[in-house]
Amino acid sequence: MKEINMEVIHDAAHRLLFDMSESGYEMLLKEFDVLIQQMETIGKIEGLEDYEPMTFPFDCTVDVLREDIPETPLPRDEALKNAGNVQDHQIKLPKVVL
Amino acid sequence: MSYLDLSIREIHQALVEKKTTPLELAKEALERAKANNDNAFEMLLEEEAILEASKLVEPEEDNLLWGIPYCLKDNFSTKGFETTASSNVLNGYVPLFDATVVSKLKEKKCVLIGKTTLDELAMGGTGTTGHKGITFNPYDPSHTHMVGGSSCGSAAVVAAGIVPFALGSDTGDSVRKPASYAGLVGMKPTWGRISRYGLFPFAPSLDHVGFFTRDVEDSAILLEALSGRDDMDSTSSFRPVDSYLPKEKSLKGKRIAVLSEIVDAISNKEVRASFDRAVKAMEDEGAIIDYVKFGLQDLEAIYATYIVISCAEATSNDANLDGIKFGAYHGGKTYREVMSNARTEGFSHLIKRRFIIGSFALMRENVDVLFTRAQKVRAKITARVNEILKDHDTIFLPAAPSPAPLLSASSDALSDEYLIADNHLALGNFAGLPSVTVPLSFVDGLPIGVNFMCRAFEEKELYNLASAFEKISGLAGLSTVSPKEARL
Repeated sequence: MKEINMEVIHDAAHRLLFDMSESGYEMLLKEFDVLIQQMETIGKIEGLEDYEPMTFPFDCTVDVLREDIPETPLPRDEALKNAGNVQDHQIKLPKVVL
Repeated sequence: MSYLDLSIREIHQALVEKKTTPLELAKEALERAKANNDNAFEMLLEEEAILEASKLVEPEEDNLLWGIPYCLKDNFSTKGFETTASSNVLNGYVPLFDATVVSKLKEKKCVLIGKTTLDELAMGGTGTTGHKGITFNPYDPSHTHMVGGSSCGSAAVVAAGIVPFALGSDTGDSVRKPASYAGLVGMKPTWGRISRYGLFPFAPSLDHVGFFTRDVEDSAILLEALSGRDDMDSTSSFRPVDSYLPKEKSLKGKRIAVLSEIVDAISNKEVRASFDRAVKAMEDEGAIIDYVKFGLQDLEAIYATYIVISCAEATSNDANLDGIKFGAYHGGKTYREVMSNARTEGFSHLIKRRFIIGSFALMRENVDVLFTRAQKVRAKITARVNEILKDHDTIFLPAAPSPAPLLSASSDALSDEYLIADNHLALGNFAGLPSVTVPLSFVDGLPIGVNFMCRAFEEKELYNLASAFEKISGLAGLSTVSPKEARL
């Protein structure tokens, strides 16, 4: 298991695109002491070679397509209702390519 | 006591006989909601509820849910009404569609009274972490004990007699644990039985729609109304919907497994004694009780397995809450800054903590020893649960090791009581099995509950057992408005 330290936590937060207060980072590092002990209970389980990783409780593979039902598309005003910054009926964001 | 305090079938009868009307019921529910001080609501839908209830004039005799008022956890999409999942990151978000369960209840002509609080994004079990603050337990006017979470508001509004039922969601025990703390029937059916379209995902391999009622028959009525295949949720089951109303209410010959390590881990003597009385009463009714060893090491791994899988799934699912695709916009000079500002401002420390745990479990160096291994542990634990249920009709356990804990209490997160007796309800989420909590008794004036879990898609059997138990406990119809004497 990767060793947990302040750098790892900062890096994870950065990749997850958020920041925390310094006291928040320190609190989380302390919490990891207990979390790592809890996570070690997973490592103690024996006989796992007989099991496949379980991703869903049951097989839920489906290959059906929904019926094509003609319907009115979402009106523009409604579609823009939740956008934070709108200009000329378009969602305005900072430039992606500078 | 009023019509609002009766069972759904009794309220329906009163509506059919025109002794009351949906409008009267809605108005009374709204009055009770406004008088309640448990901080259970994200929003009350007063005008809308009165408008909808006013339209309901001619009772539908074959529709038990016609005109029944209800509440909804605020992580179900409601077209035209803000839906925040009690997180600042979704402040101002107004969905453009209804969740399938909301559409189904609209078709049944139920009247939505309000949307209820939850632990932020349904991640938590205390009812204390939503952006509106702590939701309190209606059984504790001093507001010192929790009601539990994450479906805290929905539990509180049913326990306080505001509505006969409320919807919640259950990823680890988020309906069934608060049901125990609030003296309610809390149901989580088989994974895939109810469509999750429009329910904000937390950990989709574990997430279920669930609900709170005051008796077992009400719960069965709801399950019938909400179940069924939905093409908008590819994980919903094609199995036909059964009639779930409990019919056979005898325990004679039923084989009931009690997991001994879980019961032995409970230190609260009154909870243990009450549970033992329940076991004895069930034996007296003809049930065959087997104390079964599950395997202590496997049980001790439940909590970590749950945390690793759920946090890893949540980290991925909630990547879309970035101020662009979803979430409150906080500006920024670059698109990364827009996302970072939205997520920094929007999520509380507790949510960020979960995301970092999930991210840690998925790091290249850890994915095999944590995430993939947790998925294998889940498979092993599920196989053991299903093995026990091959020889038994149900697994029967105390739903929680104690009545509602103090809000100031901190858990000893590595004790067996915490690791096993406080987290075993997640077995039902790991295996996707139907599981229901039913009131058992009271300890120090606070409710405690028991839990039944059955084989997949055997909800009918589950309700038969729960209904038989309800007859023994004498606590059907319990709320703070309709107190009952405990027998066990």
